Amino acid sequence: MATLAQQLVNGLVLGALIGLIALGYTMVYGIVQLINFAHGEVFMAGAFGAHFAYLRLLPAGTPWYLALPVMTGAAVAVSVAVAVAMERWAYRPLRGAHKLAPLITALGVSILLQEVVRVFYPGATAPLAFPRAFAGGSLTLGPVLVLWTGVLAVVVAPLLATGLHLYVERSRLGRAMRATAQDPDTARLMGIDPDRVVLATFVIGAVLAGAGAVLYGVHYTQIDTAIGFQNGIFAFTAAVLGGIGSIRGAMLGALCIGLVKSLAGQYAWGGAQYDYVWVFVLLILVLMFRPQGFLGRPEGVRA
Amino acid sequence: MTSTDTGSTTGVRGPVTRARRSARSVLSVRSVRRVPGAVLVLAGALSPWASVVLPGGAYPDLATLHLFDAPHLVTGFRLHLVLLGLAALLPRAARPAGAGVLIIAFVHTAFLAALGAVSFGGPVALAGGALLVWQGRREPAPRWPLPGRAVVWPALAAAFAGLLWLVSATLTAGGQSRATNPHGGAEFLAFLGFAVALLGILSAYGVLAWLSALAERHRTFSVAVLLGCAMLLPLTGAGTGYWMTVASTIGVYAATAIGLNIVVGLAGLLDLGYVAFLGIGAFTAANLAHTVPFPVAALAGAVAAGLLGVVVGAPTLRVRGDYLAIVTLAFGEIFFRAAQNDLGGLTGGANSIPGIPPITLFGQAFDRPVGALPAGFLYYALTVLMVAGAMAVLANLKHSRTGRAWLAISADEDVARAMGVHTGRAKILAFLVGATLAGLAGAVFAHKLGTVGYESFDFSESVTLLAAVILGGMGTVPGAVVGASLLFVLPEKLREFSDYRLMLFGLALILIMRLRPKGLVSS
Repeated sequence: MATLAQQLVNGLVLGALIGLIALGYTMVYGIVQLINFAHGEVFMAGAFGAHFAYLRLLPAGTPWYLALPVMTGAAVAVSVAVAVAMERWAYRPLRGAHKLAPLITALGVSILLQEVVRVFYPGATAPLAFPRAFAGGSLTLGPVLVLWTGVLAVVVAPLLATGLHLYVERSRLGRAMRATAQDPDTARLMGIDPDRVVLATFVIGAVLAGAGAVLYGVHYTQIDTAIGFQNGIFAFTAAVLGGIGSIRGAMLGALCIGLVKSLAGQYAWGGAQYDYVWVFVLLILVLMFRPQGFLGRPEGVRA
Repeated sequence: MTSTDTGSTTGVRGPVTRARRSARSVLSVRSVRRVPGAVLVLAGALSPWASVVLPGGAYPDLATLHLFDAPHLVTGFRLHLVLLGLAALLPRAARPAGAGVLIIAFVHTAFLAALGAVSFGGPVALAGGALLVWQGRREPAPRWPLPGRAVVWPALAAAFAGLLWLVSATLTAGGQSRATNPHGGAEFLAFLGFAVALLGILSAYGVLAWLSALAERHRTFSVAVLLGCAMLLPLTGAGTGYWMTVASTIGVYAATAIGLNIVVGLAGLLDLGYVAFLGIGAFTAANLAHTVPFPVAALAGAVAAGLLGVVVGAPTLRVRGDYLAIVTLAFGEIFFRAAQNDLGGLTGGANSIPGIPPITLFGQAFDRPVGALPAGFLYYALTVLMVAGAMAVLANLKHSRTGRAWLAISADEDVARAMGVHTGRAKILAFLVGATLAGLAGAVFAHKLGTVGYESFDFSESVTLLAAVILGGMGTVPGAVVGASLLFVLPEKLREFSDYRLMLFGLALILIMRLRPKGLVSS
């Protein structure tokens, strides 16, 4: 019972973190129908940006409550810079090209970013230690131990998602986004600049990924260049699971992925070595029997 | 823009303009404009390249440090520069020749700069190349009439002999061992620049289009000659055990890429986990290697991969487009994880499966030399036959009823269904055929390497295969072979850049999509 509760909590935390990445996937796909494989790398770059800020910009021994905002700022700055650069230089020139071209480009960007960090960031060929916030303290709920960083992730992620939801629903730019997602040509006729909307979408996704990267780092206290790809795939799975284009769906899907991964690692056949596999089995089943995901609308005929 | 301008003015003073234009080309104001660039290239080629004698012997040819010491004896990349500089005087060749000069000069200048040597010839040649590219005009290639049979066969034979030379020279450019030639990577890249320029010039004059039209018309003859040329490769400079091994590895990946080309290029179903089919073929053959002869093991590998193909293809009945890509990615990852964790003791897990015996037919082990031919020739011949077979399958399917159904599905699935195509059956068939080819290639792969481990089948391999198909041109018959050759020979050649290999690969994917999204061999 205690193990089950502990795994549920672990899954919840992982789900919250993946959800922050999934939001970026779902927003970009909703607007430009592009699987931005490189979004995971935006997350990874953010984590390294935060690591850089901690090691190089902050004096040694800075207390975590001062370091955390600075690291978050650095992570967001790096993520946004990377996302803007990739949108501007890699994806924008391909708009209207053959439909596979952007996807291949996304794969290329993903590989490029991973390798650039691995080769040029000092020490990135091996996993790097990340500082832990809250001095490693934890919340004890009966038999279950929750690190405060986990609590932070579970609190912050839904808050950010709600904020994003409200922003997309209420703000002028959010309305432009929804219009562009629905029909780019008509949106253009209504005076919306699609380039600006797409760029804004990438920026918002990157901000969330940067925030997620810091939360991820302080919780798992270790980062490497592969975290982007692996969590990116989880996040994409989550976005599809929840119904791509839907913000609530992405969070819901991420929650499912987190729970399935931690529970399957504990209870399913094969143990922790196969937890990853069960996530994908779930993905395949969902796509086959409910391709629109939990909350997505069924996809009509679309060229 | 200019064509519309002249079009609108022809009514007023058409004949005059036309006369003036033709006079200009006769007086060759334009060809005079090309001269400075060509002269710069020649001067650059004949100038000394490095300011110091470099460690590891004279770089790359002995003449490098000498000024005009024996212009007629220039060799290596400087000879290529001279040839390109002369070719640039031809009216249509300026652009491609200039591009080749730019590549060669850039590679060597950058390499010398990295070694800490100042280059004199480099900047001059770079300037010349840039001038040529800038001033060269992009004109539509002329079309040549197709000749009678008396000319066709010699022409095709000569073309394929030239191709054989180009392949052999590209393969061996830069040498095989970094120990004996530390500049091999740079030499290879520079040679690639020369090859690109040559093909570009031929294409600018419509020769390539003419040849491919000829080959298309005389299909049987050209296939026979091409096969013969491929079998002659061991007699060229590439005829050592090392190059045979490299070439047969390329052949395995090329056959796999052709299978993927059926799925992605013809049927338009994006597969991101394709290397799993190669893997299942390899693991099946590896497990059977000690008990059954090779043909049976290969057949078993192909069948196992085909069955997996049907399983992976089944979701296509319900899932489309990008979602399908993710489903195939999921299958690929599941296969990878299963192989990594030694599922059922079949894959060896982290230890991989060692000690797979070489293929033995009629008492001849395939890893031994036959007569005067180098070791590895038999594997090379086998992969050539396999690639040829796969190309034949692809070419025939492309023009068959099934192939047309696939093309229709890739263009618009709903319309295809409305026109009476059994889309479900056709899509699963695409996966079945593609996977079977990959499984067969996997069986050869296992025997050739002698050991199979899960690391050979990770996501980056799937991406590389996909990139090979796209680079070569989706749905084209030779495209996948060209793409696979490039993508799998480059890492072999650029070992000294191994740390940057994947980075350059990622960059290359982005650039190719930006510059030539239809691939190098577009239909």
